[in-house]
Amino acid sequence: MIEAFLEGLLLVLQWKAFAFMLLGIVLGFWVGLLPGLGGTTTLALMLPFIYAMQPIEGFAFLLGMHAVVATTGDITSVLFGVPGEGTTAATILDGHAMAKKGEAGRALGAVLASSLVGALVGALALALAVPVVRPLVLSFGSPELFMIAIVGLAFIASLSAQGARGMMRGFLAGGLGLMVATIGQDPQAGVARYTFDVLYLWNGIDLVPVLIGIFAIPEIVDLAVRGTSIAGELPKGSLNKGAFEGVKDTFRHFWLTIRCSLIGTFIGIMPGLGGAVSQWMAYGHAAQSARTDEERRGFGQGDVRGVLGPGAANNSKEGGALIPTVAFGVPGSSSMAILLGGFFVLGLVPGPDMLTKHLTVTFSMVWTIVLANVITVLACFLLLNHLAKLTTVRGQLLIPVIVVLIFIGAYTGNNHYGDIIVMLVFGAVGWLMVVGGWPRAPFVLGLVLGKIAENYLYISVARYEAAWLMRPIVLVLIALAVAVICYPLIQSRRSRARAAARHA
Amino acid sequence: MRRAIALIAGFAMFAAVPQGAMAQYEGKTVTIVVGFKTGGGYDRTARILARHLPKYLPGKPSVIVQNMPGANSIIAANHVYSVAKPDGLTIGTFNRNLVLAQLTNVSGVKFDMTRFAWIGSAASESTVLAIRSDLPYKSFEELRKGGKTVVIGATGPGANTYDFPLLLKELLGANLKIVSGYSSSSDIMLALERKEVDARAGSYSSLQSFVERGVVRPIIRARAIEPGIEKLPVDESLAPNPKAKAIMALRSAPEVVGRPFVMTPGTPEPLLKLMREAFAKAIKDPELVAESKKANMDLEYMPADEALKIIREVLSQPKDVVDEFGKYIKFGE
Repeated sequence: MIEAFLEGLLLVLQWKAFAFMLLGIVLGFWVGLLPGLGGTTTLALMLPFIYAMQPIEGFAFLLGMHAVVATTGDITSVLFGVPGEGTTAATILDGHAMAKKGEAGRALGAVLASSLVGALVGALALALAVPVVRPLVLSFGSPELFMIAIVGLAFIASLSAQGARGMMRGFLAGGLGLMVATIGQDPQAGVARYTFDVLYLWNGIDLVPVLIGIFAIPEIVDLAVRGTSIAGELPKGSLNKGAFEGVKDTFRHFWLTIRCSLIGTFIGIMPGLGGAVSQWMAYGHAAQSARTDEERRGFGQGDVRGVLGPGAANNSKEGGALIPTVAFGVPGSSSMAILLGGFFVLGLVPGPDMLTKHLTVTFSMVWTIVLANVITVLACFLLLNHLAKLTTVRGQLLIPVIVVLIFIGAYTGNNHYGDIIVMLVFGAVGWLMVVGGWPRAPFVLGLVLGKIAENYLYISVARYEAAWLMRPIVLVLIALAVAVICYPLIQSRRSRARAAARHA
Repeated sequence: MRRAIALIAGFAMFAAVPQGAMAQYEGKTVTIVVGFKTGGGYDRTARILARHLPKYLPGKPSVIVQNMPGANSIIAANHVYSVAKPDGLTIGTFNRNLVLAQLTNVSGVKFDMTRFAWIGSAASESTVLAIRSDLPYKSFEELRKGGKTVVIGATGPGANTYDFPLLLKELLGANLKIVSGYSSSSDIMLALERKEVDARAGSYSSLQSFVERGVVRPIIRARAIEPGIEKLPVDESLAPNPKAKAIMALRSAPEVVGRPFVMTPGTPEPLLKLMREAFAKAIKDPELVAESKKANMDLEYMPADEALKIIREVLSQPKDVVDEFGKYIKFGE
């Protein structure tokens, strides 16, 4: 096995494979930066180009591209508050808040370093999972997947403001997200829900226009109203020194970064949960690490931990998502579904053979993820100061560019003007939420988990009736969900008690 | 992408074209509108054709693919039907079940399938029901007589993963329990491997690799034929009465026209003829055949008149059959 592991590395380092990987990286770099144009679509567009390639070259190309998309997508999220990818929206909350405080360099440093850690953890997980992957994936059935969605929703508790009022708002926003997720034809009876006879709404609302609207538009409004640059009126030169600080932050909160990477990997391994989920669960977990009420309030205002969590998770999930794709021929995300098409084109049949006969190919994928991320992160660090300077450009100059990008980005959802309307409507919703002090993260969490929770609950009940509740992993996950909800309450009580003791 | 197409077109050895037709496509761009997102079967078929079609069109135009997803292709079909110009530069490829949407008067349908300028179909998709190999049933008959409920995993109404077993249950009396809500057919496959479900229906091409690995065993199929499943019993042939047979035939008819390709109504006859010929040749192109074989896609050209005949047959069913059909089948993906 060790032999296959090293052989995999040598395969990627052959000049042809390596050159194709670099080409993929360059492509992925831009795809990630541009909002809307997602890694999934690009993979589909690039698929025809691999017909003439050898398996190793083909995967180096596709995976090289895919592996860096989340990394550079984070950059757009941090700098402009515009989600570069559907999977990098969570980075906006604290990353962009830091940019507004003039800490763009530090935020970028943190997001890149944590992305790298995440990618390495994900790749390591892929390598280590090889012997145990089948029993692991098979032990998570529909009831377990439903409970994972519930644990995810429980994170709303830590994504909301403290106190009864804050919690209520958080869960209401989450409920709204769940409701928006039900739009479209339902998969059990085929009934059209909330479609108002509009064809566009039949297949539900696309996530990307919603994310762009709800996060980017309030930021643009804010930038226009302030009339300054993103970083405000800061003394020159304060930006540049931050990047290294961000890297140090990653190691200061190293265990948090590792834990969030593991969350990302785990969600990635579970087929059917999708890439948009992991970042929010990681963000919720990062928010839990706040020890005092004051620290808790700092999340969303530019706490570096809120950058590290999703930064790590959205890269580590790729390694995870490859696991079911390779071992079962069952893709863990929509990008992996397309990659699966690539397997066939390259003449490989995913399945148990990939863990035995073609083990070197599998390991070459691990290495591609590792190398692509190392190269991208290093390249980004070279450009980082220039990127951070964008936050000092006057708003009037920046806004037209961002507006064009988000309109195009939203339109790529379905190539339909409905995408633009959805973006504008949710832009208004997002702006009202910001003004009214309602948290946006729970809404998005409800939206991304709504379909998953609904479908797996239906399947669980239809298949097992009430018996699904007694499955051991389900019980563990129920306990976990309760713990996740109660944790912030206990924490805030403890911190209040501590404060009271200090005053006494 | 466009450059790659031009490159391939450039290398293609193809010359004998009448000068008059040459002008029609020279320097033009042909757009294939796909009614689904990137990455699915319809999209992949359109993209592979876009790569090889230029070789066979006079003047070697660029052929590009535009995805127009939404409402299970109705949006794209409405677009090609009435928004696009009938200038031979727009091709549409949609959900094969659109004809059923028209038949059952789904709201939002603003087209008449018979009036499109039909190019033909690029493949037929055969639906089979495959059961876990470790189950004791060797055939559909054994399953039907087995007595124990067989759990079927499905995506949702309107998809063949749902509709095909539904008719087996309702019309042929198989003891099936359909559990729907899985997000894709590969999700169902995983549920099958962990024994959450016992069987799944789906296109044979999507099941083939699992059949070869011995995970599942196909036991019954719908009308459309593919190599490897000729010997399976056909659902229609087991129907207890003519009405049940008609309903099953209606459900599977669109699968025979599995990848429909059409142009805007009113497209001039000479252009349509050029396009039909180019399609027929492109699908037999050795490079395309090699590529599609690699990608696990089985393309086969069905001429326009054959496709149109099936479409007309579907739309000319008596009202009582259509009403009964509508009770079971809802238009969907």
